[in-house]
Amino acid sequence: MEDFEELRRLLLGREQEQIRDLNSRIEDKERRVRDVSVVLPHAVKLSLERNGELDRALQPSVENSLRIAIQKKPEIFVEAFHPIIGPIVRRSIAESLRGLLQSLNQTLENTFSWQGLKWRFEALRTGKSFGEIVLLRSMVYRVEQIFLIHRETSLSLLYVARDPTASKDSDMVAGMLSAIQDFARDSFEAGADAVLEEFRVGELEVWIAPGRHAYLAAVIRGSAPRDLRLALQETIESVHILKGAELAQFEGDSAVFESVRPELEACLRAQYQPAASSQSRQIKAWLALAGTATLLLSIAWMAWKSDGRWRDFLQRLNAEPGLAVTANKHNWFLKSRVEGLRDPLAVDAAPLAVAAGLDPARLIFQWKEYLALDPVSVRRRFEKRFSVPAGSKVTLKNGVVEIAGTAPFEWIEQLRREALFVPGISALSERDLTLLYDPARVLEKFQAAFPLPAGVVADFNSGSLALSGRAPYEWVAAVREGAKRIPGVTAISEKELEVVFDPARVLSRFEARFGLPESVSASVEEGILILSGEASHAWLARVRPAATQIAGISAIREQSLVDLDEQTFRQSKSVIETALIYFLPNKENFATEGFVALSRLPDEIRRLQTAAKRVGATIGIEIRGSADAVGSEAKNIDLSERRAKAVFDFLVSCGLDAAMFKPLGLGAALVPGEKAAPEQANRRVAFRVVSPPSSVAP
Amino acid sequence: MIQKKICMIGTSGVGKTSLVARFVSSIFSDKYLTTVGVKIDKKVLTVDGTNVTLVLWDLAGDDDFQRLQLSYLRGTAGYILVADGTRQITLDQLLDIQARVMEAVGPVPFVLALNKADLQTQWEIGKERIEQLTAQGWHILLTSAKTGAGVEEAFSDLSRMLLAPKP
Repeated sequence: MEDFEELRRLLLGREQEQIRDLNSRIEDKERRVRDVSVVLPHAVKLSLERNGELDRALQPSVENSLRIAIQKKPEIFVEAFHPIIGPIVRRSIAESLRGLLQSLNQTLENTFSWQGLKWRFEALRTGKSFGEIVLLRSMVYRVEQIFLIHRETSLSLLYVARDPTASKDSDMVAGMLSAIQDFARDSFEAGADAVLEEFRVGELEVWIAPGRHAYLAAVIRGSAPRDLRLALQETIESVHILKGAELAQFEGDSAVFESVRPELEACLRAQYQPAASSQSRQIKAWLALAGTATLLLSIAWMAWKSDGRWRDFLQRLNAEPGLAVTANKHNWFLKSRVEGLRDPLAVDAAPLAVAAGLDPARLIFQWKEYLALDPVSVRRRFEKRFSVPAGSKVTLKNGVVEIAGTAPFEWIEQLRREALFVPGISALSERDLTLLYDPARVLEKFQAAFPLPAGVVADFNSGSLALSGRAPYEWVAAVREGAKRIPGVTAISEKELEVVFDPARVLSRFEARFGLPESVSASVEEGILILSGEASHAWLARVRPAATQIAGISAIREQSLVDLDEQTFRQSKSVIETALIYFLPNKENFATEGFVALSRLPDEIRRLQTAAKRVGATIGIEIRGSADAVGSEAKNIDLSERRAKAVFDFLVSCGLDAAMFKPLGLGAALVPGEKAAPEQANRRVAFRVVSPPSSVAP
Repeated sequence: MIQKKICMIGTSGVGKTSLVARFVSSIFSDKYLTTVGVKIDKKVLTVDGTNVTLVLWDLAGDDDFQRLQLSYLRGTAGYILVADGTRQITLDQLLDIQARVMEAVGPVPFVLALNKADLQTQWEIGKERIEQLTAQGWHILLTSAKTGAGVEEAFSDLSRMLLAPKP
């Protein structure tokens, strides 16, 4: 036994030592860690050289570790990233600007090139957007959809697309893709592991990148390069590395594959046709930019000029009396529009447009009529309605029209009638205005108002109406009264005019003025009024001084014309003065015959009073008492006074005015001029009317 | 969302396509059945609170002119066998087909839909036959593509079987 052990030690002693050493390496954790730390850098380096499988394998763990670290201590990462954030942002902005410039280049190139025009036409024809057409036509290839499909179940594990809304149901498509593969495999007996790697349908190709448990189906538009296949293959391998276990044990829950979406989305690649060479592209871009800038500047300049013209036009419109712009719209391509108010007498807006440099044909005016009240419009309205004659000066101020100078009367007459009806005119002033009269119009008006009698001629000169010939007085009188009311007639000349009177009309005028008592007859002969008959004193008093005032009466002739009142006066005076009141001898008592005579006197005195009043006379009556020669003179005077007083008392007692009477005692003396009478005759009282009216003969 | 591949299997004319036509989402036309031999539809339903997407592989009928392409069965989670209740022979043929399917995909859940249940007067499949199959552990439903009777139940029952924990 010992020999055997010795033999084994000799034969295998070294190997046993090595085995013990190896066991020690495996079991000693510390030593194993040291060993791994030695080879790990080399292993990592080697793995990096082998398509980065280690990266992909470590990615989930690293991501998770980073997430936890950031959540726990974000400040560490802030501090770490702070120095590089600025450069990153700058670079990102620079990249964006570069992309923008490239996009601008492409757009400019496509916009101004013949090809671009063709694409625009295609976009119009197909109804697609221009951008879409540009993209399609300038595209080399574009991966539009990626399916991650489980090989065993043919179910869609994950689906990514550039435009998810444009794709059909990925579950059914994935199934059908698998079915087609199976169909092709079965139909051509290609073997269980054979893969339908690609097929083309129109502009689309479907590339299959197979994996052990799943495969990628990429739907590609255009012609993709071979290196895309390599990328797809790497992606499916990466998916298997990351999700190998889940793929192998897939039971229908595809949610676990969401984490590989970035890998699939990375396959949505695209390549577009390179534009012209950089230098050429830059030249084109600059040319296009310059052209565009020139075009834009030209458009801007034209727009500025156009706006300027439009503003100038609006200013002209608003400055024009009678035009008021309320709204306007300046269109570059369509007709421009101006709305507002326009006085019918305002100027036409089209010439204003021409003056402002605009084409009236490209303007639409919508004016509403109104009556402008500015002085110019009011003046236009005034002048249109009333043509201002030469010599007249018209000024308009605050609605007041002032007329100066000379003006035909008819024109002024029209103004006076109608001027205030003109909107904007409130008053008319004729200061320093000389009216001009047309002689023919004046004569026409005169003859219309006063038709000329036969044999009469009228003439008008310098305001004077000259009449000649023979004319009836009545016509002449009417002319005298009314001719000056005819505008222009300031005087009437009758030097050459003979006025003819019609006696009947003269008498008629006389009667019309004075009346003609029935007891009076009147006639006119050769201008002399002949009166006869009886008339009251009052009537005669009116007629005598004024009859000659009646045209056609130059004098009065009274033939047997009796003044009735004067006649009554004289008669009454005579009766009173011839009356004698006798008394008893030596007494102041009335004798019988004396009393009878006395009783008639009051009425007569009243009649005399009335007549005197009518003839305008003031009368007094002396009561003259007398006595016979018997007795002394003194006694006789006393007796005569008492007899006068008795008569006086009687008359006063009859209601006559005492002031009218003057009782006198004459004694026995005779009344001067009275013849001596028998004695009885002296025992009496006589009467004398005194102070007779001057007009009446005593 | 859980996805399951389901195959519709049966001889020609038993009403597989009609059975699913009214109850599924479809983007492919029936001509795929005669060209590729399969048409894929989708049915989303909720079973016991779980949303399930059934990707239905409507396989062309197995007959003298076209054989069932077994490769289409690969990976199926279950299948619906369809027979015409008014034609006994369709069930007989279906049993042969089921044997081939079993051989290809193994013991996966399935249901038997005896279709055209609305034509009971012309019914040929006897009750005893049905009971016999039921006794063998088959899950059988009478369906009518015309009235819709039993169709939803067929999908639901199969889905329930698919979601049941595996022993």
